[in-house]
Amino acid sequence: MADIASLPGGNSPWRSAGRFGLYFLLLSFGVYYILPLIVVLSTSFKDLDEIRNGTLLSLPAEINLESWRYAWSEACIGVTCTGLKPYFWNSVMMTIPAVLISTVLGALTGYALTKFKFPGANMVFAMILFGCFIPFQVVLLPMAQSLGFLGLANTVPGLVLVHIVYGLPFTVLFFRNYYVSIPDDLIKAATIDGAGFFTIFWRILLPLSPPIIVVTIIWQFTQIWNDFLFGASFTTGGGQPVTVALNNLVNTTTGVKRYNVDMAAALITAAPTLAVYVLAGRYFVRGLTAGSVKG
Amino acid sequence: MATLTIQNVKKSYGAVDVLKGIDLELENGEFLVLLGPSGCGKSTLLNMIAGLDTITDGEILINSKVVNDVHPKDRDIAMVFQSYALYPNMTVERNIGFGLEMRKVTKADREKRVDEAVRMLQIDHLRDRKPAQLSGGQRQRVAMGRALVRKPEIFLFDEPLSNLDAKLRVEMRTEIKKLHQRLGTTMVYVTHDQIEAMTLASRIAILREGEIQQFASPQEVYERPANMYVAGFVGSPAMNFIPATVVSEDNQLGVSIERTANGERSSVFLALPDDLQDIGEWVGREVILGIRPETLTHRSDAEMSQNKRLQPFDCQVEVLEPTGADTLTYIELGGREVIARVNPYNTSNPGETMAFMVDMGKASLFDPKSELRI
Repeated sequence: MADIASLPGGNSPWRSAGRFGLYFLLLSFGVYYILPLIVVLSTSFKDLDEIRNGTLLSLPAEINLESWRYAWSEACIGVTCTGLKPYFWNSVMMTIPAVLISTVLGALTGYALTKFKFPGANMVFAMILFGCFIPFQVVLLPMAQSLGFLGLANTVPGLVLVHIVYGLPFTVLFFRNYYVSIPDDLIKAATIDGAGFFTIFWRILLPLSPPIIVVTIIWQFTQIWNDFLFGASFTTGGGQPVTVALNNLVNTTTGVKRYNVDMAAALITAAPTLAVYVLAGRYFVRGLTAGSVKG
Repeated sequence: MATLTIQNVKKSYGAVDVLKGIDLELENGEFLVLLGPSGCGKSTLLNMIAGLDTITDGEILINSKVVNDVHPKDRDIAMVFQSYALYPNMTVERNIGFGLEMRKVTKADREKRVDEAVRMLQIDHLRDRKPAQLSGGQRQRVAMGRALVRKPEIFLFDEPLSNLDAKLRVEMRTEIKKLHQRLGTTMVYVTHDQIEAMTLASRIAILREGEIQQFASPQEVYERPANMYVAGFVGSPAMNFIPATVVSEDNQLGVSIERTANGERSSVFLALPDDLQDIGEWVGREVILGIRPETLTHRSDAEMSQNKRLQPFDCQVEVLEPTGADTLTYIELGGREVIARVNPYNTSNPGETMAFMVDMGKASLFDPKSELRI
């Protein structure tokens, strides 16, 4: 490919001015977006004296992990002073099964909707898709009734069920659209070779699916971990996920407002989604799709 | 090896009839080509033989056993797809062995048979590659290997060569022919390419809009097409269709055709050969004369004296198209553009009148209304 920068007449003063303007703009936006994170991070490392005496933007004199430890194991959430720890594990116990089960079910449904087409498959898909557009608030009451009926109210398994049901339309959408692009001939060939429904899924389709599995996991993990409404509506006390606990931690004030603890707690709560994005996002960028579907 | 019988097979999707009653009968070791344009139902028929599509009505029998309700994996067939349909995540070796693995063939036996297949197809150096690392021709070979490793009763090919470039297509065509000669297995091959059909088939079935137009050997299809559709579909350049009138001259039946020669418009009489002398009821009526370009060429008196079915006429030349081996000479007969295949050293210039002869023994007559062969 021709190097566009080295084309004749490409180095005029106007061009340089344009470049300068562009980089200036990019840098301004970069600073604008990174600043809140820097403030949160640096505040979480300060002690209360330093927060009171210093400015918002000043960096901590030393890395002080006391507020992190406090937020994790001592801060009061409502009337119980256990820190975020038990609630963090609640979230883990809720998110991991919900993500895995909704992803597996989504993959299977997407596979059945595209490769084992039955009459009305498109209609079924349209109805599932409709689920993507139903707002959280609409399902609160019927969901609460269902959970009560099933005896799962105020439990982590109850939240898992809610998130699986609510996540399915999205995971089905992702997998269905991905599998549509995989040639039907592959399935026909495998059928003639003697493979059945699950063998084809396991041996042929799933090995082609890592890119969409990564997309689905990132999406579902972020959605479920960050959920506040379902957690706040269907759980109280010890069954709460970490997002609800964070809210209660910040709202529970005994005497002085401990900004450093609030900031550390916020970062602890946000850490897993950031980690998933940083780790799995790499696979995303690497482009596992390259040539994988070409027969 | 197997026989294949298709009895009055029909297929409809809702109100649309895709196949309207197909009857075919194949002997052991035959090579059937289903030939037709896209949308004629040939791939549907193949999928039905494979069991990948349901049968609306009629019966399909493999080795005299009705297989309508037999699962594809139990029909003992193997199929090669147009897209090759290789499993992208498996190596060549795994791809070829997958069918055996599914059938619980032991690992040692599997390896032996995969070994045989890759050797036969000369792809043993590629066995550890993934399909994405192969060229089109290599993928084609792997797809064939996957079919033949199972030693099926019937091979099905669904336009296997249409994704290859022209040179490779000819090579692989010969490969498939060799394979058939070596294995002697019954094969069914779908294509829209009439040259593939002619070169490979022991019998061709030409389909159009879900109906069989003709089911015969390639030579018969070429020389005695059942109707104008078949005549026009098979052969390149296509058969010339010339409007003509049946007349009787000197107690002999022939056709009278309008043409321009030496600047004047006139009719020429071409006598029909003996086997076409019994069409008395057509005298005075219009027919379509079908002539293949290679049976219409420059006049040679020596040849004419030996073969009395060669009939002479003169006609003005319109356009010349040299192809190297022959020059395609365009003339006008009965108001239609007609192509003659002429030796490059015997052509006349455009505008001049040239002496032609036509082999009426190889001509076909068609009813202009029904388009059927007379």
